[in-house]
This record gives sequence, structure tokens and C-alpha cells, in this order.
Amino acid sequence: MFGVGGLMFGQTKPAKGVNLQASDLHTRSYTKLLRKFILVSVTCSVLPLLLVGWISYLYYSQFSRSRMVDHFRRNVEYNRRIVESFLEERASDLRLVASTHSLGFLTDSSNLRETFHILNREGSYFADLGVIGEAGKHVAYVGSYDLMDKDYSVTFWFKEVMVKGVYISDMFEGYRKTPHFIIAVLCSKGDTNWILRGTIDTEFLSSLVETARLGQTGEVFLVNREGVYQTSPRFKGKIMDKMPLPMESFTGESGIIITDPIRSMGSVAPEIGTLISDLLKYGVMQSRSQQIVAYSWLKDPEWMLVVKQDFSEVFEDINHVNMAILVLLHISILAILIVSVFTARYMIKAIKKRDQEAEGLNRQLMQTSKLASIGELAAGVAHEINNPLAVILTESQVMRDITEEEQSVDGNFKEELVQSLSQVDAQVQRCSHITQNLLRFSRRMSASSQFVDVNVALKNVVGLLEKRANTCGVQISLDFQEKLPEICTDPFELEQVFLNLINNAIDAHEGRPYGSIHIATRFDSTRNGLVATVADTGSGISDEDIERVFDPFYTTKPVGQGTGLGLSISYSIVRHMGGEISVRSEVGKGTEFTLFFPCLDTEQSGIPEDSKKDKLDKKS
Amino acid sequence: MRKPRLLIVDDEIPFTANLLKLLSRRGYEVSAVNDGYSALRIVEEEEFDVVILDQKMPGMDGVTTLKELKKKRPHMEVILLTGRGSIESGIQGLQLGAFNYVMKPVPFPELLEQIVHAYERKVIEEERSQE
Repeated sequence: MFGVGGLMFGQTKPAKGVNLQASDLHTRSYTKLLRKFILVSVTCSVLPLLLVGWISYLYYSQFSRSRMVDHFRRNVEYNRRIVESFLEERASDLRLVASTHSLGFLTDSSNLRETFHILNREGSYFADLGVIGEAGKHVAYVGSYDLMDKDYSVTFWFKEVMVKGVYISDMFEGYRKTPHFIIAVLCSKGDTNWILRGTIDTEFLSSLVETARLGQTGEVFLVNREGVYQTSPRFKGKIMDKMPLPMESFTGESGIIITDPIRSMGSVAPEIGTLISDLLKYGVMQSRSQQIVAYSWLKDPEWMLVVKQDFSEVFEDINHVNMAILVLLHISILAILIVSVFTARYMIKAIKKRDQEAEGLNRQLMQTSKLASIGELAAGVAHEINNPLAVILTESQVMRDITEEEQSVDGNFKEELVQSLSQVDAQVQRCSHITQNLLRFSRRMSASSQFVDVNVALKNVVGLLEKRANTCGVQISLDFQEKLPEICTDPFELEQVFLNLINNAIDAHEGRPYGSIHIATRFDSTRNGLVATVADTGSGISDEDIERVFDPFYTTKPVGQGTGLGLSISYSIVRHMGGEISVRSEVGKGTEFTLFFPCLDTEQSGIPEDSKKDKLDKKS
Repeated sequence: MRKPRLLIVDDEIPFTANLLKLLSRRGYEVSAVNDGYSALRIVEEEEFDVVILDQKMPGMDGVTTLKELKKKRPHMEVILLTGRGSIESGIQGLQLGAFNYVMKPVPFPELLEQIVHAYERKVIEEERSQE
């Protein structure tokens, strides 16, 4: 039996080692779980968000870029039409004047001045106005230059106007030696031909063109077929200079070129590549920034309106919006990451806590089942041992009888034999005591639960043990809270618990001349139960022993003085009541056992059936 | 008062043999059987005052035997020998009409005392029923 017990408790130590490994394994599985959790939440939330975010970012920037380019194109078209219609209007002004007035009227300088002012009433469109005869001589002139005696019969525009009737020239310097351009109309009345010529104010044209300019980096200018500036560009070059861009890159009536100094764009024609390198070579590009160039050809004269702007400026707002979207996207991803990490941590913590609780419960269950299985084993063994013990007792009695009857046996021998036989009896009684304890331990709770006053139970036990305590020099002091609620249990078992504890407390003073045991009870309202403490000033329990005080057969008392069952019986009794028993001890100072017994509310259904019956019986 | 006639019922043969020896030596008229059936049979043939009955036996157990014995001889007193450390089985025996129960292993003097008390009661009961 005890061999078996020893084997069982021998396993306690390695079992602890296994526990440690298990908890180590737990932490690893928690980390794994945490990682898995985070991974899942990241893949499920961050990835789709990132995908959606990036796709919409790309789509949106492409969309807005094409919108901007479109807007740019429309802008240049619109301004081209404005310039075109301005020139047309001026030409028709002149035509109207020419057709409604006779040469005679206009050659009168005061009349011509009058007409000039009428033409310029809405704006200073014309710089000067002149009437030129068939021979190419000025017949009348209004303006700030002295051009009356000039002969135009050899100039290019004179020939053109004689052929076409209306002519709008390119910029030229002419006799006045400043860049200007003219609109000339031919008027034929009868067989006399004369020409009405107006010079357009260069400043006015420039300001008209400038209205198309956009932003800080924008630039607008007109060029003719040969690529000569018709208005001064804002940044580099001036009127009448040759534009550094090759004219062949401007194909079609209108178009958009996006220059890229770093990479050639796949979508534009190959010649744009050379254009870009030319741009760089001629130093048109102030910076190596990307530029958007929109152009549109005027019908008459064959000029081209060019609007340029830095790419970065055009798309500044869009880029800002896009940047904001991207920043927001990444911030929210970061937030999700942080939140999911925290959530995962929190959940793992909760799981861990639950696991620990379950583990604690398991441990309790293990202890209970350990006690139960040991109890069963003990009961069987105790029962089987009782029979041989009974035989031994009778056997010794038989021997005693025989010895007494036998006259021939010598007195000394007889005395010794009787002594030996009483020792046999004593040892059998000892065995019997052990088996009784074993059986009591193995016994499950008796059915006789009733309402018990813990103070009364304690007083009974103290009354039983007071004498023994006094002979050991131990003082027992009581500190009871009066009028405690009664608890529902078996009074004998409760008394047995206290008996064991107080007995142990007295035993703990062995080898000391004096000591005291303090027994206290109180009501714990927060947990709705009674707390009883038994504290002694004895030798205390060492740390390694304290873990095993409730294990059956574990005793530090000398062989023959304790079965090692007292505390485990107490433990199983208290646990069975739904209570708790705990121990706190310091070697050399003393030990304190704290017991907790839950109080049952009368409303609660937790009262065992028979105790209800008891109450009913008492009432009736 | 004459010595009571005793019957010992226990499946442990050395135990019954020893008790037989011890009690005969003290002047009792003693019989011993080793199972419940034999006990029922022997009480048909002879008359006993007190029966010492083991509670745990193979075949018919002590409690059943007790019931049957009490049916046959209501005035016969029975002392139960219980192996259990609990009082429940003893109490059950008392409810079924046993005189008392003693825990095994019982010291011999204690058993003797119980036998005397049981017999005393039996005599008193008999006298009362005769009146």
C-alpha cells in the first residue's frame, strides 16, 4: 500500500517539470496565435484597402491628367479663336471703311483722322492708318511715324494685297524699323484702285495673347510658318527671333506635346524625342522639368498660338489631392495595423487568462480526482486489512488464555509473553486506527447536511482539546464574531476539520515550552461567506512541505504519530462544502490556516434536498 | 443467569475458530458457521441467544442474513461486525434490528461486554413478552 503511495507521490516532481514545459509550449503557441491573428487581419483589411487605394489613385490621376490636358487644349483653341476673330474683325473694319468711303474723302487728312479715331474707339487696335495709291505712294496717313513719302510699290505686302484684296502680314520691321504687322485691304471703284492699310498695335496683340497665359510658369506666344516669334515670349527670346523648336514637330491643326527631358514618352511620335533633345540643346527648358505644350494654327494669317506651362504646375492641385489620398491611405493602414495588433494582443491576453483559469480548475479537479482515487484504493486496502487484524487480535487473546491456564510455564516467561502480546494488541490497534482514518478519508460526504453554527462547532472542538493544549503549554485564544449566519454542512465533518487543524497546531509546538493558538471567525460580506482562521506560534512549515500539506499520507510527524491524512481529509471535506482552505506559514514563526465557507442564500437553489427536508421537519 | 448460547457467522475461518476457542473457554455454548446460508440453516435446528454476524461476507451478506435471521427468530440478538469505518452501515444494521455494531478489529474484552449486554437485553425482552 505504502509502496504504491510512495510511487504516486514520487511522480509529483517530474510532473512539475512537464508542467513547466507545457507552459513554455503555451507561450510559444500564444505567440504563434498572435502572429496568425495579426496576419489574418492584415491580409483581410490592409491588402484590399491598399489595392483599392492604389487602383483608385492610379485611375484618378490618369483621369484627372487627361482632363487637365483636355482643358489645356480647349484653352489654346479658345484663345486661338479670340486672336483669329480679333484679326478678322480688324480686317473687316478696314474693309467697311474702304467700301463706305471714297478715296477723296479719305485722302483728306482730317477725315482719315476722324475714321482712325472711330476705329480705335473700342480699343487702341490700330497704331496707324494710311491710304496708299495705286502707285504705291502714301496719299494720306494718320500715325506717329513720318511715312508720307514712302514708296510701297516694291514691298512684299503691296504685291500680295494687289492680288488677294485683303492681306494680313507677318511681323516685319519695314520703314519704321520696329516689328509690326499690317492689315491691308484693296478697294476698287471703277478703274481706280487704292489700298487702306492699318498697322495693328503690337502691344495690343501681345496683351490679347497674354490672356491665355496660365499660372506662374505659363508662356504664350505666336509664331509664323517659319517659326519666327510674332509676339515676345515671356522667358526667352523676343519678337522677330526664331523659335528654337523645330517647326516639324507641330503637326496638324492643333495638338498637345508633353515634353519629358528624362524619359521619352511612348505615346508621342518618335520626332518628339528629337524635339525634346532639341529643347534641351537650345536651352528652352529653364529647368529640366516636364512641360506641356499646346498649339493651334490660325487660319489667316498662318500663325500658330503656342501655350506652354510646366507640367508640375498644371498638375499641382491634382498632385496635392493625390498626395493627400495616398497619405490618408497609408495613415489609415497604419491605424488598422496598430489597432489589429492591439486587438490581437488583447484577445490573446483574454485567451491566456481563460486558459489559466481553466488550468487552475483542472488542477483542482486533478487534486479532487487524485484524492478520490486514492480514497477508493485506501478503502479497499483498509477493508482487506481489517479482517487479518481481527484474526490477529483473537489469536493473541487465545495465546494469552493459554498462557494463563498453563501452570508449568515459568513466571518470568509468562510475564514477558503477556507483555509481548499486549504489544501485539497495541500494534493491531494502531493499524486499526490507520485503517479507520483511511476509511473515513475515502468516505464521500455523508448525506446529513444541516445548518451549523461554526462558532458552536469550534467551541466543541476547543473544549475537547483544551486539556491537551494546556499540558503542552499552549494557550488557545478565541476571537469569534457573534451572530454569524449558519452554514449548511455535516456538523461532525466540520468538527473533524477543526479537530485536525487544532491538533496539528498543538503538535506544531512540540519542543517548545509555550505558545498560543489564535482562532478567529468573521463574516465576509463581499464573498457572502464565513472565514475562520487557525493561527499558531509553532514551528511553521517549510516551503517545500507547504506545497504538499494537503496531499494524502504526507506527514512530517515521526512514524507512528500521524497518518498524513488529517489535512487531506480536511481539504476534501472543505472542498466538498464548496469552501476553500489555504495555508500561510513561516518557518519558526508559525502557521495560519484560513478556511472559507460559503453561506447559502435561502432563496438559492443550491441547498441540498435533504437539508430542505430537515428544515421542513423542524418546522412541523 | 445461565451463559448465553452464541452463534458466530464470519467467512474468515481462523477468526471463527479463534472466537470459538476463546468463548468456549469462557464457558459459552458456541457454534460457528462461515456463511449466511449455513447460519439460517443452523438456527432452524438449534436455539441461540446472541449471534455475532460479520457484515461483509461472500454469498449472502451480513445485512440480508440479519433480516432473515430476525424473521425466523425475532428475539435473538445480533451483534454486527462492520469492516467499514463509517457509521452508516452500522446504523442500517441497527434499523434492521441488530443490538449493536462493533468495528473490526474489535478487542476481545469489548466484544465480551457487548455479548453480555445483548444477552441481558434478550432476557429482559423475553420476560416482557411472557408477561
